[in-house]
Amino acid sequence: MNQADLSKLVSALRIAVKPKPRLLSCPEGPAGRLKKLRATVTALVKYERIELNYPRADEAQGYAERLISDAIRNGDCHKHTMEMADYWLNEKQLVHKLFKVLVPRYQNYNSSFTRLVLGPKTYPGYYAGTAILELKGNPFPALQPENHNYHYWLHNVLLEEAKKEFRSAREERNAGTTESVTTES
Amino acid sequence: MAIVEHLASLLRKPIETSDEAGERSVSTQKTGDESGNTVIVAPPEFRFMYPEFLPDPAPETRNRLREKLERMDMLQRRSVIEIPEFYTGSIMAVTVADANSPNKFARFVGICIQRGGSGLRAWFILRNVVDKQGVEILYEMYCPLIQKIEVLRLERRLDESLLYLRDALPEYSTFPLNMEQERRLNNSVVPINPIKVKLRPRPWLERWERQNLQGVEDLNLPQRFYDKAEKVAKPWEKYDLMLHYRKTIPAEEQEKIFAEVHSQLQQQELKRKLRRRRGFDNEQ
Repeated sequence: MNQADLSKLVSALRIAVKPKPRLLSCPEGPAGRLKKLRATVTALVKYERIELNYPRADEAQGYAERLISDAIRNGDCHKHTMEMADYWLNEKQLVHKLFKVLVPRYQNYNSSFTRLVLGPKTYPGYYAGTAILELKGNPFPALQPENHNYHYWLHNVLLEEAKKEFRSAREERNAGTTESVTTES
Repeated sequence: MAIVEHLASLLRKPIETSDEAGERSVSTQKTGDESGNTVIVAPPEFRFMYPEFLPDPAPETRNRLREKLERMDMLQRRSVIEIPEFYTGSIMAVTVADANSPNKFARFVGICIQRGGSGLRAWFILRNVVDKQGVEILYEMYCPLIQKIEVLRLERRLDESLLYLRDALPEYSTFPLNMEQERRLNNSVVPINPIKVKLRPRPWLERWERQNLQGVEDLNLPQRFYDKAEKVAKPWEKYDLMLHYRKTIPAEEQEKIFAEVHSQLQQQELKRKLRRRRGFDNEQ
């Protein structure tokens, strides 16, 4: 039973945050974990779409979202936010990109700022495979086709009605056969 | 089924207790949202004054309905008894109903060294030195046995947890049991006591040199202690954004929670002030 930490105000993240972090084994131990994730977050901010393994992508997505949400909430004159941006972005020109390009881009977003898409995986295997982590609003062509609302398209409406007709006809047939069975007994 | 539906509808409604019916709060902060409707927003200091209203951030044990019901019960208890604003480092007196004591009440005065818990299980520990024996008592704030909580001196210290007072010289934890309530000079700001406490010689209960304590005098340990502390330290945790996120409640949720409860709390404050003023006038 712990009290919530009050020293920092954080914005709610619009991604699913797992309750426990992944350890990401590396020779340097826990210090090396953040070093690896730093490289990933830097690459994400630099290239806006990267392909990597799923576990690291999932961890880095959380850190990237936190960095951008802090930058939006506090701006670049906030000492703590600037320290975090300085630590997480290895190239200093990306700190400028964060505050001058990404913050205005995501200012009015109601959704998450990043997208994690599952990538190719070589079967067979019980490992998670690759993933593509990208910042939304990037200049590249979309990875997935847009979700059109196909429920009201004419051929789908006709198919739904045909399905309903088929099911009701089958029920009538079954009711007919059971009646005939009862009358015989 | 009717009970389940009733409980589910509670999640959608703001909290209202019987004493609020027909009364509207006086000094609610109101800001407009995009549709032009006024949105009630609690002042930002509420999260420091009432930290137990925020739930435990661990997602495994979170249950929105239970938290809402707990907040209702907490407000109900607060309407019966005054639970004043206090911080770690404040000197308080707590009166508890005790069947085994001659007066049926037991009163203890001490300095609050730690507070924790969330919801109805919120607690604080008071420490005092009585007859050269250090005594610490953990009180649960919403326990129905508690008759009165008084804050004799409201102040903060440089640290959030004063557990190092256990290894400090006893004079830093001694407070007279018949201490009277001190009048505050400035009602708007809670003073921070910058005292630096002197610790007894080692052995200690914890490795104080490894915790970044502000309220302790220079420990004057051999250098090997500080070297080992550096070796064992985790300086990267300062930058671990997801660690901080998992330990806290996001600001939007905090605002929602306090918007629910703050009008009630303000009304209770007002009623108490009026009662106090009326009591003062009657005395005069």
